[in-house]
Formats: sequence, C-alpha cells, structure tokens
Amino acid sequence: MKGFTPLVLGILATLAFSWLGLAYIPDLQIGHLDPQSDEEGTDIYPMPKSGMAERGRRIYVANGCFYCHSEQVRADYAASDIDRLRDAAPSPPSKWGDRRSAPRDYIFDRPALLGKMRMGPDLANIGKAAPAEEEAPPVQPSPANPANPAPPGASPPAANVSPPPGNAPAQQNAKPAAQPSTPTEPGASPPAANASPPPTNAAAQQNAKPPAQPSAPPAPATSLPATNGSPTPANATAQQNAKPAAQPPTSPAPAAPPAQAAAAPSPAASPSESPAPYSAAWHHQHLYAPRSVNLDSDMPAYKFLYEKRRVGGEQSADAINLRGEVAPGEGWEIVPTYDAKCLVAYLMSLNQSHPLNEVKSAAPPAASPAAAKPAAK
Amino acid sequence: MNPTEIPLKSPSSVTDLSIGDVEQVERALIDASTRVPVLMFYASAVVWLLLGTLLAGFTSFKLHSPDLLSNVSFLTWGRIRPAHLNVMLYGWASNVGMGTAIWLMARLCRTTLRHPLLLVTGGGFWNLGVLLGICGILMGDSTGYHWLEFPSYAAWTLFVGYSLIASWAVLMFRFRRGDPIYITQWYLLAAFLWFPWMYLAAQTMLFIVPVQGVLQAAVNWWYANNLLFLWFGSLALGTVYYMIPKVIGRPVYSYHLAAIGFWTYAFFASWTGMQRLVDGPFPAWMITASIAAMIPVATVGLNHHMTMRGYFPLMRYSPTLRFTVFGAMSYTAFSVLGVVISLRSFARYLQFSEVSVAYSHLGLYAFFSMIMFGAMYYIVPRLVGREWRFASLIKIHFWASVYGIGLMTLMLLAGGMVQGMNMENPTLPFTESTQSVLPYLRGRSLSGILMTVAHFVFAYHFLLMLLGLGRTASVPTFLNPVNPEPGEMVAH
Repeated sequence: MKGFTPLVLGILATLAFSWLGLAYIPDLQIGHLDPQSDEEGTDIYPMPKSGMAERGRRIYVANGCFYCHSEQVRADYAASDIDRLRDAAPSPPSKWGDRRSAPRDYIFDRPALLGKMRMGPDLANIGKAAPAEEEAPPVQPSPANPANPAPPGASPPAANVSPPPGNAPAQQNAKPAAQPSTPTEPGASPPAANASPPPTNAAAQQNAKPPAQPSAPPAPATSLPATNGSPTPANATAQQNAKPAAQPPTSPAPAAPPAQAAAAPSPAASPSESPAPYSAAWHHQHLYAPRSVNLDSDMPAYKFLYEKRRVGGEQSADAINLRGEVAPGEGWEIVPTYDAKCLVAYLMSLNQSHPLNEVKSAAPPAASPAAAKPAAK
Repeated sequence: MNPTEIPLKSPSSVTDLSIGDVEQVERALIDASTRVPVLMFYASAVVWLLLGTLLAGFTSFKLHSPDLLSNVSFLTWGRIRPAHLNVMLYGWASNVGMGTAIWLMARLCRTTLRHPLLLVTGGGFWNLGVLLGICGILMGDSTGYHWLEFPSYAAWTLFVGYSLIASWAVLMFRFRRGDPIYITQWYLLAAFLWFPWMYLAAQTMLFIVPVQGVLQAAVNWWYANNLLFLWFGSLALGTVYYMIPKVIGRPVYSYHLAAIGFWTYAFFASWTGMQRLVDGPFPAWMITASIAAMIPVATVGLNHHMTMRGYFPLMRYSPTLRFTVFGAMSYTAFSVLGVVISLRSFARYLQFSEVSVAYSHLGLYAFFSMIMFGAMYYIVPRLVGREWRFASLIKIHFWASVYGIGLMTLMLLAGGMVQGMNMENPTLPFTESTQSVLPYLRGRSLSGILMTVAHFVFAYHFLLMLLGLGRTASVPTFLNPVNPEPGEMVAH
C-alpha cells in the first residue's frame, strides 16, 4: 500500500459500493411501490393501518414481539410456510398464508417487521385467521366519500400514494371511533359507536355486540381526533370511568344486555366456553395468560398490559374471560389497557391474503399466469 | 503489488539490541500517553460486559421459563433481549475494540497520543449514549430495528462520542512517524472510517428519510452485518495481525496474502447483509449476491493459520496468544457457518431457528471477544506497569469461556437444527418445533453460567490490575512455567 490517500479512498469506496448495491439500487427497484388497484381504481391493496393499529405496532415493537414472530411467508419452493396450519385451528383450518409475501405487502409498514426468528408462529396473516365475522373487512370498493384525503395517523409513505378512495376512511374510522365509545364520553360518542361496521378489532368487537346494527355512514370528523389526539389520557379516564359507564343507564353504545356482555365478551361464546381462536378476545386471553390457551406455548405473559380491578356493580364489557388458576378471583376482573387493545388491533390488522398481481396465489387464481411472475423471486 | 512494498516493522527486529533501548523508551512514552483513555475504555467495557452477561443469563433462562419475572414491563423478555444485545455490542465490544485500536494506533504510528482528555470526553459521551439507549429500550422506546434498537436520543449521543473518538484515531495518522502503514493499521483505519459511514447511512435511511417497506429490513441487515464484519471484524482482524506476530516473534506469513485478504474482506464482507433474509420478500439477486460474497470472506483467516504454523506450542505459555489464536480460528468457523446457513437448501430449515443465534455468538464472542481478551492480557500490563497477578485466574477465564461458548454453539446448532426440521414439517404442530428446542436452550443456559464465571473472574483480575495489585516482575505472567527464550519475552 503506497500511501494514506489511496488507502482511505479504497476504504470508503468499498463500502459505498455495497451501499449502492444493497441499499440504493434496490431502492430504485422496489423502493417506490404504490398500492395495487384494479381497473376501476377501487380494489386497493395494501391500505395504511388505522391509528390504533399503528399505535399497536409501537407496543409490538416496544415489547420485542418481533424477536420471536416473523411477518413473512416464504415462497412454496423455498420453504413449507404456506402449507403450515395454525395450531389452534378453527374451522376451516387457517394457514400461515395463501401466498408468499411480496415487497408490496409492506409499503406502509414502518418499521417493516420481517423478523429473524420463529420461537412463535409467523404472524403475517394472523388477522386473516380471525373468525369470519371479526376479520378486518377485506378492502371493498365503496364509492362513498372518495374525497377523504390521506388517512389519519397513517405511516409517512402514505404521502406518495394516491389518496385511497373506497372504504379506506371507513375502515380507518371504524376502529378508533369504536374504541373510546365504550366507556368515556357518553355524550360525544353515540354517532361514532353506530358507525362501526362489522367489528374490525378488539374494541370494536366488544361493543359491537349487536351485529344487526345498521352501518351508518362513517363520520370522519369525529374519528380524526380519536385517532391522533392523545389517546392515552383518554384511556386513563376510560379505565377509571369504565365502571359507571358499564352500568345500564349511562352506557351509550352496547345495546346488548349487560349481563350477557359481562359473561361473554366473545360474540360466539357461551359463558363457559373459550373465545373462538384468533378472535380479539382470544388474543387478549392469550396475551394475558398464554398457557391457559395453549399448554405448549413458550410465550411470556404480558400481564402488565392488563389491569386487575374490582368489579363494582356489573362486570365491564371488555373484561377477559378467564377460568382456572389464572382467573382473577371472585369480585375481580381483568380488563385490557388501551395499549393492549391497540396491540390486538395491530394483530388483527395483519393480513396479506389479498392477491397481488406479481405473486402467484395458491388459493384463488386472481392473476393471469403471465402476470404471475414472482417479482421478488 | 510487490510484497516488499508492504512495509512491516518486522517483529523480529525488536530483538536487535542496537535499537532496542531507544525503542523501549519510546514505547514506554507512548504507552504512558495512552494510559488514561485506554484504561477508561477498558474499564467501562468490563462493566458493560458484566451487565451484559447478567442480562444474557436472564434472557436465556426466560426463554425456557417464560413466566420468570414476566409481570414487570421492563423485565419482559422482549426488552431484556435487545438490552443484552446492545449492551454487548455498544457497551462491551465497541468499548474494548476502540480501546485496543487506540493503543495499537499509537504504537504503530509511533507517536504519543495528544490531548487524551478529548478521547476521554468522547468515551464519556459514548458510554452515556449506551446508558441512555439501554434505559430507553427497557422503558419501551426501542425502534424495532435489529442492532439499532437505541432510540434517537441515545443514537445521537453515541454518535457525538464516536466522532470525537474516531477523529482522534484518524488524526493520529497525521502525526505518525515513518511512512510505512502496517496491515493492522489498514484494518483499524478502515474500521474507524466505516463505522460512521454505515451508522449515518442506516440512521438516515431508517429514521430521517425512511425508505419504503421491506427496504428497511434490507438496510437494517446491511447495517447489522457491516457492524459485525466491518466494525467488529476489522478491529479484531487488525488486532490479530499485530498480536500473533508480536508474541511469536515472527513476521506475518505473507504480506501479499495480507493485502489481498484485506481488500477481499473490504469488498465482499460489506455485501453479505442479505444473507440474513434468504428467500424473504426481496429481489432474488440481492440475496444471491450476499450468499456469494460470504465465500471469499471465509478465506481471510488463512494468513493467520499460516503464520502460526509451527508455533502452536507457544499457546501453552502465552495467555495473549492462546486467546488470540482461539479467536482467529473461530473466525474461520464463524464465516464457514455463515456460508452454510445462507445457502438456500440450508436456509430453508435454519433461517428462523436458533442457529442464527449461534452464528451471532460465534462472531461476536468466539471470534471478536476472545481476540479482545487476548489483547487486554497483552496491553493492560503495559499500561499499569504491573503483570497479571494469577496465572490460574487466566486459565479459568480461558477454559470457562471456551467451554461456555463451545457448549453454547453446540446446543444452539443442534437445537436449531431440530427446531428447523420440525418447523419445516407442516404435519407437526408448530409448538412441536419450539418444544423440541427447549432442552437445548436449557443447555445453553448452563453454558451461560460458565461464561458468567469466566467474566467475573476476568473482571476481578482486571480490577486487581487497576488497583495496582498486579505483580511487579520483569517477565509477563505465563500460563505455565516456561524455559527462557519463548517468543513473548522477546516481544515484551
């Protein structure tokens, strides 16, 4: 080596070269993907997540869930990921995924939590595994309110996306709107509570007991503050106020008889039964006491995301249905904190089942074989 | 490149008595000038090492006993694990690496270290950054990127500290005497220039102007593998190029090979990042390029083995040599394992298993940390003017570390394979794969106990040295009684 300068230049050039190769060029290649839509521009996938689910992602990250759970399904030629069934199989049995993951699936994710380890199952499609009535509604064309611009609390990439029309706002609205409605502001929330279409997440699920409720047009105005406006304090008060709120006279949202609500937070379950696998109630129970759901689970309990409190009067609607030794005891109940609800909302939002043109789907032949060239082979 | 162009102050020239006296004085002066900053880096590294070891044990036990203290948010497994990782990466490994590098730089540039207080300030910022970062992670502020979990306030504190440290390491080149640049200096200079490059690039592309979707994972692993190879790997390889010739009193086997090795390493190691994402949602060429780049990287260790040929018996005596050679050998094991697990036919099974944990530990512990232990056994006596007090403690440290990391690697490899095979078999329930790895994880916890013993013994010994309780003697502490004229006496 002749001297200092060529050495330094060489050192800098080698790393610059790998940066070009592994970061810059891929950025040109797959770094600016748009959501896919059909000819009418309606069937849009993927969509930004709701504010609640985005907050749930922070909880997911903060507690290191991604160290044990991957969020990527490998192609059928690379591994048997798409043949694997989930352990707690509902009927019909739910698979890890119908197709491999593709770069487009992650365009709104920040961080994109691909994962490196599977001490727990892959979660790329865990939201899809939820019982049908709870599954986050597939993105359907709904010509209503196309004027609504970028959704609230969405990840920054939303900026380079054409404003998602269709029911993106509707879906966005449904979740946050449903959440605070349970206990907090009885006066303010009735319209929002009504707005929830078939429940999409934990919170929605709990107070949307009557599925027959008419799906009123969403109210974007109310949902914006609910999503972005600091949810924590609201939650704090929510927890404190929950007791009175759950009492029949003041409870605005759930039209269901309180007795039934107290006994069975899961829609399908009778009081003595466990919630349907991968439903929101199931996730709560699983997070609170993993081995009460699956004896073989190696997951730590996340009891610190739940609150144990005395039942005064009626049990609150979102209390977890626990039995056996993890049950809180007579006169006590376990209710999820707002963080826990967000976390479950995030889990329920994980769904890569929508077909992508560039990926061959195992189940529905959505794309023509010619277009099904795996872009990310 | 002509081999004779590669300047190397031949270690054998040290025996030349005509220049011996002058060099002795000069070295003593240089060592004295580096005493405060290097000892500070070492001391903080050892403190972080102990903390990281405790966190590691906790992480390991919690993995097979998930209910252990799981009800406190900041003790949940998913926070303890990144805390352990980052304490080890930025607290232990970076501190000890920078301390060693500063000392080596001063020695090889043959210049006294100017303004050591600036370095001390830099080190202070660095350690403050690590402390802030760990607290941030435990409080739930993790960013969610592997090996970059520190929240931004910690990351930038870290970077300020780093800039102070690195600018001094680089500036030392300005004051170097003599034009020759020895191989070690290439590696150290490269490490000091690469780290800010990759750190800034990763911080920018992940947090300031975030890239889209899966590219975050690509940038993340580009950074993580570069941190492993270009930062820790370069520091360790540079140290090996100094320590082995120095202790055995014999020049490097081939300078030509060393030059080729360095540029091979620089060129290919930086391309290996996607090796961790085999068959993920990425264009296939990225992953193939990374797999291909792993292969030349594995050849770099060859030179060390050739240099050592015929001198292995010296490992009986010299603690430095024993640790360093073990580390250099582990480099080969580490990089070969890296090739194997990234081949698609293996990645199918091993990609999401505990094998990747074994791989990281081989790199950061068996390779990097062992070399740094060796360097500390060499450097610390020269800074405090005392020799290590107990040969027996050094032996305990060595064997507990070796058995510890050996057992850990075996357990994780075997367990990971069982886990991976079960995971790839869709007829088995998923929990079968996690249940089947648990016995191996308990074995891993055992190995962690061994390593904990090793580190506490080492820390105690190091503390004795800091307190000036080492031996006053003219010969270094040998592991076994020795006849006159082994290599290390010469090198001293």
